[in-house]
Amino acid sequence: MHISEGVLSAPVLVTGAALAAAGVSVGLKKMDYEKIPQAAVLSAAFFVASLIHVPMGPSSVHLVLNGINGLLLGWVCFPSILIALTLQAILFQFGGITVLGVNTVTMALPGLIGYYLFGRLIKGENRFISLAAAFACGFFSVLLSGILVAGALLSTGESFTTAAKLILLAHLPVMIIEGIITLFCVAFLRKVKPELLGGVYGKAL
Amino acid sequence: MEKRYNTRFSFIILFLTAIILIASNGPALAHKVIIFAWVEGDTVFTESKFSGGKKAINAPVVIFDKDGKKLLEGKTDNKGEFSFKIPKVTDLKIVLNAAMGHKAEWMIPESEIREAGPIVEKKSAAEPSGPISVGLSKEEVQKIVEDSLDKKLRPIVRMMTESKNTKPSLTEIIGGIGYIFGLMGVALYFKNRSKK
Repeated sequence: MHISEGVLSAPVLVTGAALAAAGVSVGLKKMDYEKIPQAAVLSAAFFVASLIHVPMGPSSVHLVLNGINGLLLGWVCFPSILIALTLQAILFQFGGITVLGVNTVTMALPGLIGYYLFGRLIKGENRFISLAAAFACGFFSVLLSGILVAGALLSTGESFTTAAKLILLAHLPVMIIEGIITLFCVAFLRKVKPELLGGVYGKAL
Repeated sequence: MEKRYNTRFSFIILFLTAIILIASNGPALAHKVIIFAWVEGDTVFTESKFSGGKKAINAPVVIFDKDGKKLLEGKTDNKGEFSFKIPKVTDLKIVLNAAMGHKAEWMIPESEIREAGPIVEKKSAAEPSGPISVGLSKEEVQKIVEDSLDKKLRPIVRMMTESKNTKPSLTEIIGGIGYIFGLMGVALYFKNRSKK
């Protein structure tokens, strides 16, 4: 899912960086005392998740964990994912420093969208709906990331439909696995610490 | 009460990351892609793979000269290899464009091509095995030695590029996690100070 250095053109890189900077600044504003340790733990999880590889055709794909990141952190997933991506770029040479902005947006934005789409449902009383929403959130975050990557690659002349098809096909198993992981995380948190799922909705708790 | 749950939660996450770490020690295939090229005679051979050893199959390879002008392009075969005749004696930039935003480069400096160049002319002269041993000029001997050295050293060169491309080590992974928690500490520290 990481786009390598030197693939994208300058306007795409700049747009990505600007969007990422906006997201991170909102995230940092929203990061309160309680959120800092959570963000760190999820950032660490994201950091190692990309080392789990699912061999797939000519390439191999890896877990992303942006769904659970967005679901639990909301806007704070921007700084959390940015930090993890920076360390991945420096230590593993995944992605690269100049594409950091684009990569942050392609992974954090779907998480944020998942948070707004499914956050309410997950908090609800009905256990079944909540777990289904968790699965959907994990699933769609990866799906959306794939679409965003394909969109970013548009500027390189790679046709959107081919790139999107390739990426989405390759990530299908990852989507399902991520859905299941998100489901188990939510099931666990509902039992042990439902306040964490509250996000901004649960401020009263 | 809440505090205890909090620590339990983070312990479970830590435990999960530990499992992930152990699991990832297996056949971890990173998605970084590399291309490696070497010159032999008048031909350049390239090999492309994803770090972890998987070959990049059917990936387009484009060759540029020093000024960024496109010289030729081709596709890797099902072994991830692609070879081409040197179109021009200049610095060659070989760019591999694997799908999904993966890209890699390899530079062959002009000097490397020049050094390998003379082998071409020599090949036909050196091939007849018998009578040649009678009178070899100094240059011919030098060429033959260089040629066979090239052949002998090729696996070593290959090994070296492969080792350059190892997967993330445990130290790096743990170091990265350490950085994240260190940053958390810094963030908490500043939050705490501004509170007072």
